[in-house]
Amino acid sequence: MSTLLFRGARLIDPATRHDDTGDLRVRGGVIAEIAAHIEPEPGDRVIDLDGAVLAPALIDGRCRVNPASSGAGGIDAAARAAAAGGIGTLILAPDSGAGFTRPEHFAPVDAAALTSPVRLIPAGLAIDGDGEMGEIGQMLRAGAAYVGDGGRPEPDTRLVRRALAYAGGFDAWTALTCEDAALARGTCATESDLSMRMGLPARPAAGERLAVERAAVLAELTGARILLDRITTAMALRALESALARDLDMAATVPVTHLMFNEMDTGGFDARYRLEPPLRSEEDRLALIRAFQAGAISAVVSDHRACTGEAKAHPFPEAQPGSANLEALLPALLSLAAEGRLSLIEALWPVTAGPADLFGLDQGRLAPGAPADLIVFDPDAPVIHAPRHRVCSASSAFDQRRLTGKVLITVVEGAIIHQPES
Amino acid sequence: MSRTGFSYDFPHASLVSIGDLNPLDVRMIFERAGVHFENNRAGVRAERTLDGATLINLFFENSTRTLASFEIAAKRLGAHVINFSAGSASISKGESLEDTALTLAAMRPDIQVVRHSAAGAAAYFERVTGVSTVNAGDGAHEHPTQALLDAFTLTRRWGEVGGRRILILGDILHSRVARSNVALLNMLHADVRLCAPATLLPEDADRWGVQVFHDLDDALEGCDAVMALRIQRERMSGGLIPSDREYRALYGLDHARLDQAAPGCLVMHPGPMNRGVEIDGALADDRERAVILEQVEAGVAVRMAVLELISAASPNQRYDDETGDAS
Repeated sequence: MSTLLFRGARLIDPATRHDDTGDLRVRGGVIAEIAAHIEPEPGDRVIDLDGAVLAPALIDGRCRVNPASSGAGGIDAAARAAAAGGIGTLILAPDSGAGFTRPEHFAPVDAAALTSPVRLIPAGLAIDGDGEMGEIGQMLRAGAAYVGDGGRPEPDTRLVRRALAYAGGFDAWTALTCEDAALARGTCATESDLSMRMGLPARPAAGERLAVERAAVLAELTGARILLDRITTAMALRALESALARDLDMAATVPVTHLMFNEMDTGGFDARYRLEPPLRSEEDRLALIRAFQAGAISAVVSDHRACTGEAKAHPFPEAQPGSANLEALLPALLSLAAEGRLSLIEALWPVTAGPADLFGLDQGRLAPGAPADLIVFDPDAPVIHAPRHRVCSASSAFDQRRLTGKVLITVVEGAIIHQPES
Repeated sequence: MSRTGFSYDFPHASLVSIGDLNPLDVRMIFERAGVHFENNRAGVRAERTLDGATLINLFFENSTRTLASFEIAAKRLGAHVINFSAGSASISKGESLEDTALTLAAMRPDIQVVRHSAAGAAAYFERVTGVSTVNAGDGAHEHPTQALLDAFTLTRRWGEVGGRRILILGDILHSRVARSNVALLNMLHADVRLCAPATLLPEDADRWGVQVFHDLDDALEGCDAVMALRIQRERMSGGLIPSDREYRALYGLDHARLDQAAPGCLVMHPGPMNRGVEIDGALADDRERAVILEQVEAGVAVRMAVLELISAASPNQRYDDETGDAS
């Protein structure tokens, strides 16, 4: 294994809230040494960072791929885009492709992992589309990060209770979609003055709160650990806070799109903003940002999905929901920091230490002995998120947006997997 | 085309939403519609402002009256009209909507009239093709020519709609007609009221610059016109209203109910009507009160006005005297 020596870095470790200049040596795929000054040794490849930020590589808790595709929607394409986006660990959503319901379904992930620049971890479906339980125990033993309903809110509360009780026996997180199935059916927008004027089929934001309240009651009943998969409204956040105050074992993720955009962005029926869950109000967006600072959010996820041009080539309600976000995850968070809404540590925590703690991963921190999954970035560089600048050019809500922050180097297990300037 | 009284050219090459228009645009449409209305009545076919132009009616939802109204309007102005409707092979061969739009646009129509069940569909067609587009109904979003013909009908009766109290009654939630009418009547300074059971009203309708009522007798007080909307049969089963009997009893419009309204209150309906549900048959047939057939007649005149104004504003206009197709 090669040895890397990063010198003159601004070292940021969200896990310990450390932010100071220093040097960091990587040896044998792990972080060997961190100090204010490290003398180069023969054989060191020295990289002078000149004050650029060195931080843990990102961990993305939700990326939806199609394991059967060799194109933009496939695992390889997602892994390459992740590397360019400073993501070192990609957790593949349970609803990827036809859905991961048995450990055999992880075979394409294992195959892709042999050549993937980034770490790939699948998550399993706790309940499939036919109301049957997935092979939860075997998938967890095969390395699933968590199990969940895969973005499809299950209307049958008895079935959810059983899946929670069963998965709870393995001490795993069960991810539940924060929607009421019946209220959300057939809709593409959040009920609001705007969506009603636009005549869009819409669901009330209260549906998300209902789902969170139901999850809290089931957490109480089963003792299971429930991960609220993509919480997006202020109302649901209040329900989560009240559940956490009752010491229930619950955590929540937030999609990065909902930190950056609100329903007004869909104003022109633009299919790039056709997302699931749909975009919410500005009040909701600001509440999500405040929730970070209060520590109620364990992870910000890319919720990446590469939709083909054809899938988006429809009027808004009929376009496929989804957005290619892997390369926007870090710049979006850094943009919030640049706006002064978050500190850099607050911005990085839910994509590093937050998900690492949530899923029990060793990476996501700067500590001697930890896996050398690292990124170097310029927190102030302006970037235009244009398709031609990206590895994944699929439709993105961030298309043509001006963001702040540029990934300079991505390192996974001690190997440089992305360094555009070199 | 006469521009009398306007030192302003109609600037819109498409009509997708009432929000695109300003009060002066509406006055221009009404002035031209007035000319066409009288000509149509007199059997005069003098205006050939779309001579040689090609108009395609692209209807992804079933429609008889709107399709016929656009077709007649275009033909009266001398345009060639081609109709594509939901069942026709060209649309149902599994081709994507974008491919359909681009294929038809490649045949260089001058105007496309689009009806589709998805909100935003007309704007989508306009964006993808760049062809002058008239929205003939997109989901529950808008149906601008219907609102224009409604307001034109009232304007002919009253001189202007400003200051008049107008009630829109029925399934507001699913109605593109209601959305376009609220926007237009507000722009023209009418006093707009909505009345429906809470399940058929958008959550935030009270923020639309209208008064919202659940009780029809209260809502009718002092009204100069009532627009009854069609209640779709499938709404009876989705938990939106209990039965057509209950709907008729609480929200059905008849002569007795109209006593609450201002004397001479006009009754409108965009059609097709469910007689005996949202509107009593005798009231619908009362030519003193109901202006329903006048709306249909106005529809052709207003669509003629819209088609000629947007085509004159279109940068792609190619069918002038020198280059026009032989017809």
